[in-house]
Amino acid sequence: MTTLQLLVNGLALGAAYALVALGFVLVLNATSAVNFAQGDLVTAGGLLAVALAPLIPLPGIALLPVVLVIMAALGLLLALAAYLPLRRSPPVAVFISTIAVGIILQNGASVLFGPEPRAAPPLLSGGTVDLGGLVVAEQSLAIIAVAGLLIAGQQWLFARTQVGRRLRATAQDPEMARACGVPVTAMILVTFALGTAYAGAAGLLLANRYFVTPTAGGDLILKAYIAVTIGGWGSVPGAVVGALLIALFEVGVSSVLSYPVALGLLYAALLVILLARPQGLFGEAARRRA
Amino acid sequence: MRRILPLLFCVPLLCAASGAARAESVSVPVLVPLTGFLSLEGTSQRNGALLALKNPPAGITADAPVIDTGTSPEAAVTALERAAGGPVTAVVASMLGTQMLAMLPLAAEYKLPLVTVSGTASITEQSNPWVFRFFPGDAVTKEAHARYVVEELGKKRPALIYQTTAYGQSGKAHLETAFKRLGAELVFEEGVDPAAKDLLPVLTKALAAKPDVLVLHLHSAPTALFVRQAAASGIPVPIVAGSAMHQPSTAALLEPAELKGVCAETAASPISGGSPEVEAFTAAYRAAFNAEPDAFALGQYDGTRMVLDAVKAGARSAEDVRKALSTGTHQGLAMTYTSDGKGNMAHSAVIVCYDGASRVPAIVKRYDNITGVVK
Repeated sequence: MTTLQLLVNGLALGAAYALVALGFVLVLNATSAVNFAQGDLVTAGGLLAVALAPLIPLPGIALLPVVLVIMAALGLLLALAAYLPLRRSPPVAVFISTIAVGIILQNGASVLFGPEPRAAPPLLSGGTVDLGGLVVAEQSLAIIAVAGLLIAGQQWLFARTQVGRRLRATAQDPEMARACGVPVTAMILVTFALGTAYAGAAGLLLANRYFVTPTAGGDLILKAYIAVTIGGWGSVPGAVVGALLIALFEVGVSSVLSYPVALGLLYAALLVILLARPQGLFGEAARRRA
Repeated sequence: MRRILPLLFCVPLLCAASGAARAESVSVPVLVPLTGFLSLEGTSQRNGALLALKNPPAGITADAPVIDTGTSPEAAVTALERAAGGPVTAVVASMLGTQMLAMLPLAAEYKLPLVTVSGTASITEQSNPWVFRFFPGDAVTKEAHARYVVEELGKKRPALIYQTTAYGQSGKAHLETAFKRLGAELVFEEGVDPAAKDLLPVLTKALAAKPDVLVLHLHSAPTALFVRQAAASGIPVPIVAGSAMHQPSTAALLEPAELKGVCAETAASPISGGSPEVEAFTAAYRAAFNAEPDAFALGQYDGTRMVLDAVKAGARSAEDVRKALSTGTHQGLAMTYTSDGKGNMAHSAVIVCYDGASRVPAIVKRYDNITGVVK
């Protein structure tokens, strides 16, 4: 039973990490730039949910659409302020500008919300459910379900819609896409909005069970970076699988050995993957790593 | 000439008269971490200092410029250099140990008393006469922690879960020594990274060792996460946590029912009351900052107040204040403060417990005059 409980916890954590990694890889593909503010955008989403909770006294699931819309708008601002003016500069300029945005978000959150950890409302009621003797937190199941739906929605958007096709064309070859009449700049803006909305969703999902502090983003961007590296640099399914593997690895190894050992082994595994299979598990795209 | 002579006598007399009426002005810069990983505790420290400085004893006016030291030693040193540019009576100095260690040589050079609530043991082991710590270090709090577990609860098989940070390692070392001396065998101990999201693995392993009590020495959010997961698992083993649990912001993350039976060590718990003076402090703090005070705020308030009382008693220079802090005794709101010769002013700790009905703990045990029993 404990093993099953740990598995559910690991899957819930991995599902939230997957949303972080998904937003990260979408922007990466569309711009070839690493968005180092992604972790702090997750924090912003969590704190936004905390701020909205008293205004909309409903379960977190009702807050989710509001968080998605506001965070998408923030993503547009991020693109306009930190990416578009620098798109023709060397990639390092965008790295630095996104790092700067992350620091601004962190300190802004500290000023607005204070430094203490906060909890967002649960997606549903926040209780536990008994599944044949297995007591599972309702929030864990809800995180898995909501993240699954959002990931499926992204797959549908990219595979079945005209906008999705344009987004993919922009991600694959912006110059050719522009030559074919695709509004590349608009597609990049949409990608930033989408990636940031996913970060906001991850923030809302994580902030109830694991709390949120203004400085929590640093660890999350690291997890997203590792997930994308393990899954395959630029691979969307790889990012999701990589995130799930990281979370299951963390929970699994720490339940047998310890959390510090789990972290050490995670980085060791990352090194092995980089040496043995540098294109990652899925190896979809051979791109230059930042 | 007849008209000028009386004026020559009168002017000094007028000056003296106006000097007696003028309030004594002091400058106490507040150099604390308001951003970064220690911003929660740093904000409490700032608030405690400001509350004291904005309500000084009669006849004193206090100037209190606040500078955020972030988390780097360089930023703290720069802040101290900036502050030392003017006439300074004393400095409220960062609670971050690495910043304090960097500031200490500069404080000795500038001859400025540093008044802090940093818990890092080594800051008072540098033979630097300019540092004064108004918060009990681990030697005091972990002694109280272990004694409560063994002597009051009668537990002999504790499981220890600590943070892998410097804070966690220091507490772990003191708890190990204290439990050994008290005849209790640690049946399990494991470090947890502050970034760990799921603490069920460590909880499961700890329970597998069949402990009779779970002893925590974790930061705020991990403490709340652990207590929540323990409550959800319905474990029958009591939890005695570190001082992070007493912080109102930690308790705010949990439902009162999840806190039932949880205890914690701390230097003080102002929201628990205990005296009209502490209740007045808590009310003033809430009114000024729209937040709940914790032990760091109260410790820094007491320390700053001791500086102001020294000025009130006649200290006119930084050296005078240093002498007063080194040799005097101060009846603060949290405890009585007196230096052990190294700048350790606080030698008391309390144990608080939650009843499951509210997020305000009750003080159940007080330990006074603990002086470095554990090393």
